[in-house]
Amino acid sequence: MVTQRVDHKWGMVVDLDRCTGCQACVVACQSENNLPINTKDLFLQRRAYEWIRIERYWEGEFPDVKARFIPILCQHCENAPCEPVCPVFATYHNDEGLNVQIYNRCVGTRYCANNCPYQVRFFNYWEPVWPERLRNHLNPDVTVRSRGIMEKCSFCVQRIRRAEVTVERRERSNLDYATMKKRNFLPACVSACPTNALNFADQADVSGPVKEYFDDVNEHPHGEAHDRKTRGYRLLEEMGTKPNVIYLKKVDPFPLRKGVSHGS
Amino acid sequence: MRPSAKMLTLGLVGLTVTVVVGFLIAVLLISWFSNPPFGLGNAPPQPVAFPHTVHAGSTADGGMGIQCEFCHRNVTQGDAATVPAVEQCLFCHKTIGGTEDSAKAEIAKVRQSFEENDPINWERVHRLPDHVRFIHEAHIRFFTDPGQPTRTGINGESIGQPLTVPETCSVCHGDVASMTEVQPKQGQSLKMGTCLDCHRNNNVATDCTVCHK
Repeated sequence: MVTQRVDHKWGMVVDLDRCTGCQACVVACQSENNLPINTKDLFLQRRAYEWIRIERYWEGEFPDVKARFIPILCQHCENAPCEPVCPVFATYHNDEGLNVQIYNRCVGTRYCANNCPYQVRFFNYWEPVWPERLRNHLNPDVTVRSRGIMEKCSFCVQRIRRAEVTVERRERSNLDYATMKKRNFLPACVSACPTNALNFADQADVSGPVKEYFDDVNEHPHGEAHDRKTRGYRLLEEMGTKPNVIYLKKVDPFPLRKGVSHGS
Repeated sequence: MRPSAKMLTLGLVGLTVTVVVGFLIAVLLISWFSNPPFGLGNAPPQPVAFPHTVHAGSTADGGMGIQCEFCHRNVTQGDAATVPAVEQCLFCHKTIGGTEDSAKAEIAKVRQSFEENDPINWERVHRLPDHVRFIHEAHIRFFTDPGQPTRTGINGESIGQPLTVPETCSVCHGDVASMTEVQPKQGQSLKMGTCLDCHRNNNVATDCTVCHK
């Protein structure tokens, strides 16, 4: 029997204490999702983009200086500001907590990118081109976006769909965290992360690494953050967008001397 | 009264506009209702004239009655149905050389291709847009699974017994076994509405990301 679809709600936890800023996630994402190569030209035009990017901050003044990294990807907000402004419903929220972009429906008004507080939506100003030697590298499970449409992180929805077809419906077993990890159904950035700073699972999966953080953050909404048992927080939490990505604060055993930090 | 030059000009302009607009409307209507439009729906010329009637047609009609999945091997295992390698043609055509001269010539092409390690460049007939994810295996599994309580055809007709694999294929592709050349205009138009109707009839997922990638 074809089992009915299990209702998932996906979530990601980014442990900033573990992130070393190595950018493996960025490379994995570029190759998994058919992103064009960010050349110097594109950078100078300010039209280079990465679906997941590592933002780097400096803390303190030389020589007491520390580098801080934070990976920023689409937050898959529950109350996404990008969704209601789309005039053609090319972006919507699906049952699994994913903020979905349907490429062939998009007409490129760029309202969504202007309304996104996290700056994770990108517009294709040019037709993507790849060098001749990369002709056969494209992932067949992901569309190559043409010029004039918006794109963004999809939580590697193609891998989730592949997982559902192969595991839930063919092998008739549940899609738990162990299966996803073992069979490489996690998003490309998560499977590429060498320090396990990125974690991805169903938010209700007791065997997964994200449940405890989502439970804690949901239980203690913004404004009483000091009550939280874990280090979890959401980006721009005061805006009420309710992202499905949670960040864990960095634990600094050797903080900078007081007065040194200029709070960059 | 003779029409003035001004009226003549106006009349000509009106006539031209009517003709142009009418032409545009006709083009749009034809494009929408005929799929594919303007005679583009003819079968493309293939490097080897492969008759599905002979291979897949029933034995009563002089065919071999080979099941679809015998040649399109990946259809029950993966996304694409796949066209078999030349080697697989030679399973039979090593010994079967054909009786008529025309058939002999075509089979000779296949053998030559095998001996020269030069694959046959079949022309693709059915083509889905680049942004559509279609998994043949999942659909065949649904219609052939005896454990599935109900299944409904594309037009809403109830299908009681589980189908065989060739029957499942013909739900969308039409009766390929009776086609000498596989026609692009097949059983179903394969527009998005067709997919959605069938998904709704069978109460399976209709989230955009199920098909759109």
